[in-house]
Amino acid sequence: MGSEVFILMKSEWALMGIIFLLLFLKVTETIKDNTALFRLTNVLLLLNFVFGFFCNSKGELFSGMYITNDVLVLEKNILNFGTLLISLLSCEWTKTHKNLAEFYILLLSTLLGMFYMLSANHFLMFYLGLELSTIPLAALANFDQDKVKSSEAAVKMALSSAFASGVTLFGISMVYGSMGTLNFAEVPELLNWGPLQIMAFLFLFAGFAFKLSAVPFHLWTADVYEGSPVPVTAYLSVISKGAMVFVLLNVLYNVFRGYEGIWFQVLFITIIVTIIVGNLFALRQENIKRFLAFSSIAQVGYILLGICSGNAGGAAATLYFIIVYIFSNLGAFTVVALVSAKTGKENINDYRGFYASNPALGWVMALSLFSLAGVPPTAGFFGKMFLVTAGASTGSYILVSIAALNMVVSLYYYLRVVKAMFVEKSDAPIEKLSFGMAPKVAMAICVIGIVTIGFAGCLLEYITNLFQ
Amino acid sequence: MGVSELIFYILAATIIGNAVLAVTSRKIFRSAIYLLFSLIGIAGLYFYMNYEFIAAVQVVVYVGGIVVLIIFSIFLTHEAGNDMKKPSLLRAILAGLASLGAMALVLWTLQMECFMPSDAAAVEPSVNNIGRQMLSTTEHGYLLPFEVVSILLLAAMIGCIVIAIKTRQKA
Repeated sequence: MGSEVFILMKSEWALMGIIFLLLFLKVTETIKDNTALFRLTNVLLLLNFVFGFFCNSKGELFSGMYITNDVLVLEKNILNFGTLLISLLSCEWTKTHKNLAEFYILLLSTLLGMFYMLSANHFLMFYLGLELSTIPLAALANFDQDKVKSSEAAVKMALSSAFASGVTLFGISMVYGSMGTLNFAEVPELLNWGPLQIMAFLFLFAGFAFKLSAVPFHLWTADVYEGSPVPVTAYLSVISKGAMVFVLLNVLYNVFRGYEGIWFQVLFITIIVTIIVGNLFALRQENIKRFLAFSSIAQVGYILLGICSGNAGGAAATLYFIIVYIFSNLGAFTVVALVSAKTGKENINDYRGFYASNPALGWVMALSLFSLAGVPPTAGFFGKMFLVTAGASTGSYILVSIAALNMVVSLYYYLRVVKAMFVEKSDAPIEKLSFGMAPKVAMAICVIGIVTIGFAGCLLEYITNLFQ
Repeated sequence: MGVSELIFYILAATIIGNAVLAVTSRKIFRSAIYLLFSLIGIAGLYFYMNYEFIAAVQVVVYVGGIVVLIIFSIFLTHEAGNDMKKPSLLRAILAGLASLGAMALVLWTLQMECFMPSDAAAVEPSVNNIGRQMLSTTEHGYLLPFEVVSILLLAAMIGCIVIAIKTRQKA
């Protein structure tokens, strides 16, 4: 132990440092100005992100309860990066908010929970990380305090996630009942194909599916996404989901590896239903946040397609896609956040004639949507291609053909928004928006990411090497 | 049937009977009270198994804390005296079938499973030992989860305060 506690858990310590600094500043009321606090926090988040690349090592702590290795470090860096982007894009929204310090404290607490969940090597730590990454999010969903929909979103999120945690906990208790241990490392030897263990696995998977909002556990998603403030929606759809995908990868590939036959079947059904339902419901949405909610449900289907391959290539493709997904989805959310904060408009019809008044924002939005749809040569195309290739390696061509057909369907609804922005005319278009530096930086990063990442072959190579 | 088994079945009947009453009662306040008895029954089950500490925690946290909280929120939000709407027959049947199905599934699973006896040395579940394990970093030590729980509680408190501030400003 000794200094190891500080070296191995450094990403958690850094986050805790920021949380307690913000708490201290809030309690002593040192910084009263939102702009100053916003700048300070973003500098801290940037430092935190950069710090993630240094002094990395692997090992375990607390008698194997906490582990870290190169893959986990990369995953934490990805999440740090996404959180920084979300913080930048929420600039206009934060200006008017009274409790900005608490917003960041809660946001970073959930990120801390995700870090513990990623590094967990024990079901207890996994469960606590899951709770820490969920409960503060319900409070965050309530942050648009004068809107009823925001409170509704918070209550829905709290109740349905409590139910999902209950299901997960029931699964964990069955794991303990049949194996007598909660340690991830001991589980693979104790798998005996008994009905209790299989049921335990199904319950655990249901908990994951809920957090990922895979169909049929998606019913909370659209309402919560619609009611929450845009930065929280972005966080839910990218960071929360990304962390859960990483943990699911770990649990399926390392803990329940012996049950590959079972989880392939479970994933098979989940993928087909998730992709189809997500796409069909996205077709008929009028609110842009609900639209992005269903689009993100469909994207989860594709992510699970990569996971179900069960090999290192699939894991690498999944990780790579999450990076691509962060750029594409956050690009779209930056524009949505700006429009929502400046005008309060959140319907797709409000975006008519958007290109004429805000050409730059129009292009960012269009590029992000193209990337989400998987149009070459954007990064989304490469991301989806690797996922589908990984899915094809399972030899299940039904799965791959359904996924490919649905990509065409998804093109229709993504292009519907593009058409509204570029082609359609409106009597009352959104006027020219003026905004600060932070969203510009966020958009620039997203656009650069979307355009270049597909051609940066070294990134996928690096990730693949990590998993070998 | 020995006295020990008899006590077990009495406890089980208390738990299940009160749980069913809690769900079927149409006065929400009564539901809360039935839930209270059901939770006390579970505490009794822990006493029956000689887990005094867990039994005490069950009484303090669930009976003392959570049920009181539930009753408070009923008083704050709901018209506690009124009857709740009667559920439709179809709904009641479907809910009954779902519960019975779930119970059958769990029973079947438990019957099919052959439980292995643990070869680990038994630990005396005394408050001393539990306290030591909770703050120890060695094998089976739970210091890290303990600290994560404290962060979780801190975050939950901050979240509550933020939500509560809102109502004060509105008034």
